[in-house]
Amino acid sequence: MRILLEHFSKSFGAVKVIEDMTLEIKDGEMLALLGPSGCGKSTTLFAICGIHRVTSGRILFGDRDVTNVPSQERNVGVVFQSYALYPHMTVADNIAFPLRIRKMPEAEVKRQVEEIAGLVHIEGLLGRRPAELSGGQQQRVALARALVRRPNVLLLDEPLANLDAKLRLEMRSEIRRIQLETGITAILVTHDQVEAMSMCDRIAIMNAGEIIQIATPQEMYRNPRTAFVAGFLGNPPIAFIEAEARDGSLAVKNADIRLPVPKNATVPPDGTPVIIGIRPESLGTEGDATIRGRVSFIETQGRENLYDITLENGSVLRSIQRVRDDIALDDVVEWKVRSDDIFLFAENGERL
Amino acid sequence: MIGHLRTWPIVLALTIVSAPLVLMYVFLFVDTISNAPAGSFIPNEFTLEHWSFLWETRPGRPSIWRVTLNSFLFATSTAALVLVISSMAGYVLSRLNVPGRTYFLAGVMVLHAFPAITLIVAIFLVLQVVGLYNTLIGVILVKAAIDMPLGIWLMKGFYDTVPWEIEMAGIQDGASRFTVWRKLVLPQVKPGIFALGLFAFLLGWGEFILPQVLAPSGNAQVLSVYLAGLIADDNNFDMNMFKSVGLFYMMPVLILFFVFQNRLMNIYGGGSKG
Amino acid sequence: MNASRDIAESARTPIGVRAAQSRLHLGWLSSSKGLGILFLLPAVVLVVLFFLMPVALTGVFAFTNMTTATGITGGAYQVSPGTLRVLTDRYGMGELAERLGQPTYVVDEQGLAALEEKGIDKNIIDSLRDGLLGKTYASRRELERDIRGLPDRPNTRTVKSISEEFSRSLANARFSSRESLIAAAEAIDPDLTDEEKEALAASTYTGWTWTTENFRRLASSPTTRQVLFNTLFFVAMTLVIFNTGYAMVLAIATHYIPDRPAGIFRIIWFLPRISPVVIYVLLWKWLAWDTGFLSAFLSNFGVRPRNWMLDTATNAWFFVIVINGFVGASMGMVIFASAIKAIPESLFHAASVDGAYRWQQIRHIILPQLKWPILFVTCYQTLSLLTSIDQTLLATNGGPGGATEVWSLWIYHTALNNYAGNLQYGMGAAMALVLVVIGIVLSLIYLRLFNYNALVAKPRIEL
Ligand SMILES: Nc1ncnc2c1ncn2[C@@H]1O[C@H](COP(=O)(O)OP(=O)(O)OP(=O)(O)O)[C@@H](O)[C@H]1O
Ligand SMILES: [Mg+2]
Repeated sequence: MRILLEHFSKSFGAVKVIEDMTLEIKDGEMLALLGPSGCGKSTTLFAICGIHRVTSGRILFGDRDVTNVPSQERNVGVVFQSYALYPHMTVADNIAFPLRIRKMPEAEVKRQVEEIAGLVHIEGLLGRRPAELSGGQQQRVALARALVRRPNVLLLDEPLANLDAKLRLEMRSEIRRIQLETGITAILVTHDQVEAMSMCDRIAIMNAGEIIQIATPQEMYRNPRTAFVAGFLGNPPIAFIEAEARDGSLAVKNADIRLPVPKNATVPPDGTPVIIGIRPESLGTEGDATIRGRVSFIETQGRENLYDITLENGSVLRSIQRVRDDIALDDVVEWKVRSDDIFLFAENGERL
Repeated sequence: MIGHLRTWPIVLALTIVSAPLVLMYVFLFVDTISNAPAGSFIPNEFTLEHWSFLWETRPGRPSIWRVTLNSFLFATSTAALVLVISSMAGYVLSRLNVPGRTYFLAGVMVLHAFPAITLIVAIFLVLQVVGLYNTLIGVILVKAAIDMPLGIWLMKGFYDTVPWEIEMAGIQDGASRFTVWRKLVLPQVKPGIFALGLFAFLLGWGEFILPQVLAPSGNAQVLSVYLAGLIADDNNFDMNMFKSVGLFYMMPVLILFFVFQNRLMNIYGGGSKG
Repeated sequence: MNASRDIAESARTPIGVRAAQSRLHLGWLSSSKGLGILFLLPAVVLVVLFFLMPVALTGVFAFTNMTTATGITGGAYQVSPGTLRVLTDRYGMGELAERLGQPTYVVDEQGLAALEEKGIDKNIIDSLRDGLLGKTYASRRELERDIRGLPDRPNTRTVKSISEEFSRSLANARFSSRESLIAAAEAIDPDLTDEEKEALAASTYTGWTWTTENFRRLASSPTTRQVLFNTLFFVAMTLVIFNTGYAMVLAIATHYIPDRPAGIFRIIWFLPRISPVVIYVLLWKWLAWDTGFLSAFLSNFGVRPRNWMLDTATNAWFFVIVINGFVGASMGMVIFASAIKAIPESLFHAASVDGAYRWQQIRHIILPQLKWPILFVTCYQTLSLLTSIDQTLLATNGGPGGATEVWSLWIYHTALNNYAGNLQYGMGAAMALVLVVIGIVLSLIYLRLFNYNALVAKPRIEL
């Protein structure tokens, strides 16, 4: 089912949290709402499922306007960060709860509970109580409960935040598998860019109540619309240095470094202050421009090393390269950067 | 235990100051099953004669069983009323979006501290006018009303500890607010309801001044009024018998308190009158 | 996979179809407002009936002279020698009083009609009308003499029953309304002035009336000052010595001893609170009575046995304060103990080296932590002590000779229970009003002491 938010705004009293957001989630797609803490992700989610009233704007499920439809009748499945399992009920009763509310015959309830338990691989746990389950198992139960009544849309609010690193990896692919198998439209709220990139068809990146960019993970990584987006995606993150347009090229402030304007950017007029973003993988042994600096930190990551290069003006760039033995701390190096891979932003963060 | 400080002087001092209380309660028990020679407190004979009130109704007084039944009805009814009313109102104050909710919450806090006993003259007159004077129903309603603010306050506290997400999940699952309360939230606060019920029962069981003023005689008499009447009657002064009635009266309290002391102490500490 | 295909299919079913499949039964119960109002209703009803209305009524009753004698619902108009004396003394209408008080006989149509009803011979009635209609007699004898003088002379029994019907006296008559009283009075004396009617009604009314007399009496009575002083003395002593002071000692002392004995002491000090008050006070009486423990014990040392609780005012005060204080101490004890428990262990470890440090710990670590709990307990207990009645009523009943009469007990003695039997409701209400006002003010202050805004977080579900 297609979900559409039209000019959606939400404020709590005098506090405006979301202003005029328009967002479309296509049928069967999994969309990530990605953004820093407090940017309004959960608020958006709560508006979709009807726990919050919208201050203005419309919400459509398919062609149906559900803006004023009570939560109970929207048929939205939600998986909360804390799972919100009903502690006094067994797993089977937890999953059956939405069906029993709909007065489904008991035999049918049992059949559907078993069916969905099979889908999320918890057949053996139906008799237990939530307190007797591991975090990952609870997560699966919560998913089963959200899915069992065939919701129009599945909302996941930071579903992996409470899991340890290994389980997180496992549940990431599990959730994606289940979403693909059921073909359900899903929205994943997260502030972890890796999660968003690895699980979702598209990412909507948010900041301070606004959607900055919506794109596929690839597109967004390659073509960030603002410095904020560029900074949010990628690990290790992109580094920014201040520069100024001069004679059709870019002069790094307080340093004797000149970089050409990348092909995909418009050449700014002379004297315009700009921000250059360089991803760690763009700085290394190949390229058409040279950057000179001192190696100030080396972090071993196994297959690769991460080098911090401090320029003469004090800014720090990162470079990720195959482990090399010829570089030591405090070495002064001259590394190459491919000018077409760097990003150019105006002072306000807009991509040039 | 903190550090390596000597503790026995403290224990000794506490023992000394606690001695009168211990003495009183020990002799509450001892005196009901023994007689002591005049001028002495060392019992020299075992007897059950002081308990004869159980099978012999004293002239001019109602049967002890009738009075006990009244006390039981009074305490359970007030507890039930307090539970029902405060588990509903407490939920509203904790969770529901109702106009004027903050004012009601402030009102409950004021009422919680407000000494309702000051209203007893007016209540006495009202009960007389509406014909509920000297009836159990009247005094039950009054007692329930007086205990209710504390009940609402405690229940609100219990509901506050239930995660919002559980309610949100229930609503997403299609349940009405009522069903969410009944099926999902109420089970979470069961221990609180139990403790409050127990507490309200004990408050009702021990209550004296309300029944004394509002339902002093006849068929509505409760144990506290009955016992106070016995003690006040100068013609029949029998301390051992008073104590036997007293121990009989206090038995349920002692049992409940020792079984559930931890839950109760928290509530008592949380601010009951007295 | 079977299950997933099934779900995938259903996800594509149009919403209308599925909504029909799973029709939800929701009504107003699903809205916060509807459910909230329903759920608050019983509480609101009880609050109105047993808090708001009594507060208002206390204010109303305080301005009446309501007593057992006047009744609560209003009264009748009763003419009696007493009321006539009032008419004479207070209104200076002695002559009117005399006239109304006199037995008077008037031969009028009303009386004749009554005779007809009684089945008296028609001829006799006719001759009465012809001969005596309109005449007034001061005594029955004169009337009966005239009746006997009529043409068809009735027998003596008939004469008696005839004269009875012409009696128009007001003495000892009772009227349910003002109108019937005035009508009866006008039958005797048709020329009553309005002023006279007013005075008659006022002096014969038995119900309660509006008055500010209660407050005037309260303000001028020396008892008021004594009781006020008693109350303040009682509250201050109990509060300072037991409810905060001793409670703090208990909390700190039990903090410094191992858990097991600490638990035992806490239970012991809880006994006064959980015991029904009648039993608790009974135990004190046993301790203090002239054949009680203290007397018996002290007689070994040649002390004369006596009722230690009531023999002197000082002793009575001692027992009243201790009896109340032991009950109040446990509340402070629990609250202070949990506040002390909340202090991080490391703070104590840093300071605990030797015995001398214990005082330092108490002064610098524990007491500062107890500031708010003490304020809370003080505020709360002031209110409950100010209005506490059970223990003192059962222990000394205000004695000896009113020495321990506190305000709430005074109300009880005035309006709810006294030896004379005439309960002064209006006066009691006036006294109670004083406490009600203090109660409202103090509980509003109490409200301010809480971090109230933190308690009223907005609901997170906006349905
Ligand atoms: N009930 C409320 N009243 C007032 N402000 C609120 C309320 N709920 C949320 N906010 C504010 O709205 C903003 C967005 O909150 P929201 O919970 O949507 O953030 P989020 O993106 O989900 O953050 P996180 O990643 O930490 O969960 C925050 O600044 C928050 O303080
Ligand atoms: Mg959130």
